[in-house]
Amino acid sequence: MAEQPLLDLRGVGKSFGGLACLSELDLHVNEGEIVSVIGPNGAGKTTLFNVITGVYRPDEGDILLDGESIVGLEPHKVTDRGVARTFQTLRLFLNMTVRENVMAVQYGRTKSTVFEAMLRLPRSRREERQIRLNAEEKLSFFGQRLVGYRWDQPAYSLSYANRRRLEIARAMATEPRILLLDEPAAGMNPSETHEITELIGQLREEGKYTILVIEHDMHVVEGISDRVVALDHGVKIAEGSFDAVATDPRVVEAYLGLRKAETK
Amino acid sequence: MADDVTQPRIGVDEWVSSVEEKRERYRGPIGWLRRGWDSSPPAARLLVFVVPAVIFPFVTSEGNLFRYGLITLLYALLGLGLNVTVGFAGLLDLGYIAFFGIGAYTYGYVASTHANHHWPAELAIPLAIAVAGLVGFIVGFPSRRLVGDYLAIVTLFFGQAFVVFVNNADRINFWPFNHTDLTGGANGLDNIDPLNVFGWKVNTTKEYYLFTLGAFLLVMILLYFVSGSRTGRAWKALREDPLAAEVMSMPVNKLKLMAFTFGAGIAGFAGAIYGSVQTGAFPGDYDIGLLITIYAIVILGGAGSLAGVIVGALIVNGVPELLRDSNQAEWVFYTVVAILVITKVRPWQKLVTVIGGTIALGFALHAIADAWFPRWTAGEANAGRLAHWVSHWMVLPSHPTQLANWAYVLTIALILVLTLLHGWWRTIVMIPTIYVGAFAWENLLVENTVGATRFLLLGALLVVLMNARPQGLFGSARVEIV
Repeated sequence: MAEQPLLDLRGVGKSFGGLACLSELDLHVNEGEIVSVIGPNGAGKTTLFNVITGVYRPDEGDILLDGESIVGLEPHKVTDRGVARTFQTLRLFLNMTVRENVMAVQYGRTKSTVFEAMLRLPRSRREERQIRLNAEEKLSFFGQRLVGYRWDQPAYSLSYANRRRLEIARAMATEPRILLLDEPAAGMNPSETHEITELIGQLREEGKYTILVIEHDMHVVEGISDRVVALDHGVKIAEGSFDAVATDPRVVEAYLGLRKAETK
Repeated sequence: MADDVTQPRIGVDEWVSSVEEKRERYRGPIGWLRRGWDSSPPAARLLVFVVPAVIFPFVTSEGNLFRYGLITLLYALLGLGLNVTVGFAGLLDLGYIAFFGIGAYTYGYVASTHANHHWPAELAIPLAIAVAGLVGFIVGFPSRRLVGDYLAIVTLFFGQAFVVFVNNADRINFWPFNHTDLTGGANGLDNIDPLNVFGWKVNTTKEYYLFTLGAFLLVMILLYFVSGSRTGRAWKALREDPLAAEVMSMPVNKLKLMAFTFGAGIAGFAGAIYGSVQTGAFPGDYDIGLLITIYAIVILGGAGSLAGVIVGALIVNGVPELLRDSNQAEWVFYTVVAILVITKVRPWQKLVTVIGGTIALGFALHAIADAWFPRWTAGEANAGRLAHWVSHWMVLPSHPTQLANWAYVLTIALILVLTLLHGWWRTIVMIPTIYVGAFAWENLLVENTVGATRFLLLGALLVVLMNARPQGLFGSARVEIV
């Protein structure tokens, strides 16, 4: 592994009041790779995302993005460095329109001040145009689902699957280098799940994103992953190709508690 | 949405189509107005307000211009500032009126006989804005991490502390301010200079009105541009979901501070104008009462809506003034009842029953009273056309006070009973409720509209309007998905 990984977690630990959610976690994601994180409920997957994006500060260890530490930065600074995420429990700006949702998150990439906006100075107008075009481009990534008359509809009027898509579009609009997707297929029906699987592939091929994804649906994980990391109780218990991890006895145990049953 | 049909129906969920249906349901003149308003450009919408506002001072008396025009505009300007903090950024700022006071006191300090400074307004107003904004920043700085109730408590405390401060800051006595009289204490500052903008001495009510109108339009247009900019969107995003906004590259703490400072600055601007209009600044003017009024304006108009602030200010300031006159009060009362019945009684069969039943009940009782108890209809009707019509319908006893007092109590009891009933029973009981309520109004309350009744009725109107449109008149319905 000669090249430097894009995202590199070294010995990261995080505990809440004595309960260790992550401990001694080493994880890396190379440029252009799709890495899946699996694990039973409460394994620390979402905590992992919160630690990477700066919502929580890790108790120990270091997180490097392209060789530079991002530990201790405020979340919006982490996003500016090129990390964007979606939320497992959707957190859209529900009462804003679909387009506004995607426009709002380009705050960090634009510079015009509030006074320039008041007086509509050239830089502000130029940036506004750019933000709008960019938003429409990101939304058109999803085919017909989020374009046209949908642009001006409030986000709450979207169906569940479309809200998930909008979350991804919103994360894309911050122009990240690495996308963190938190259960993108949760709550979707089989055909929508299939579509998401293809979409994540497209994100890499066309969007040139590096992707770290938490997913429960093993078909999705199988379909997209270059590498799979399994967590249990905040500890990495397996890492490798999908087939290797899925048949790893410790992973099977974590999901099914098999060994305990055998020893009895 | 005419081309909606030709689009593929796949992915068009029922929710969306139900929303479209709701919008299309408004037919007739109201629907036409709504669609016209929604589709007209912002400049045209502004004209709907500006043209009458400019004509108004040339067709009305000085007193009316002051009461309906100038004060409404000042309230609306205050509403614009509160709209930034509360409407855009969603920060519950209960110390807002203090910034209004700071504006007035700052202007008063540098432009009055109090300290014998007489700054021209082009310097004094920016100073008032800057001082109010700075104090907003200072208050916002430690409280920027607070949300919801906690922020409300801290800012409420600040608002009260301001009143205590101005009451006592007439004898500051520590280095380097030995024996300084900053605010005039409980007596306030008086003899504040009239505005003097680049040599234009603003003296008459009409001039003040036009100046305030200009100030209001300026702030409104600037805010309109801000609301459509990256900052405006970030404020709205922060109101919707602070965590998501922070993770999506928006510096939430900085944005909160900005919203706080902005709102405070606008309040300072309004304060400076108010100080010079009043030619004084008094501690009692900047208390909770005004805060509630401004909140009522913003919430009634629809938090986050700039047009709503104007309509909110017109209603909240205009209606109590209208109610001073019993003839106008009569119109207001029956309009409120009509709005309440029309918006709340569904379906149309019940609506027809209520309206028809109430009218029939009135005439029947009037006829019975006429035939057997002439004394019951011997009372004097108010002057005015509506009151004249009403006198054929309403029983007006010659000595009504005692009876009307009981009717008042009975109205409240009937309303309580109404809330317990369902279906047709509710419809039927509604008929005597309205009649008894109107009886109490005609025989008791209409005489006292200068006093407490005014505010009672305004309160009732606000309850009715907020019930009919919880999101405010110009607000868009807010939806939470759980």
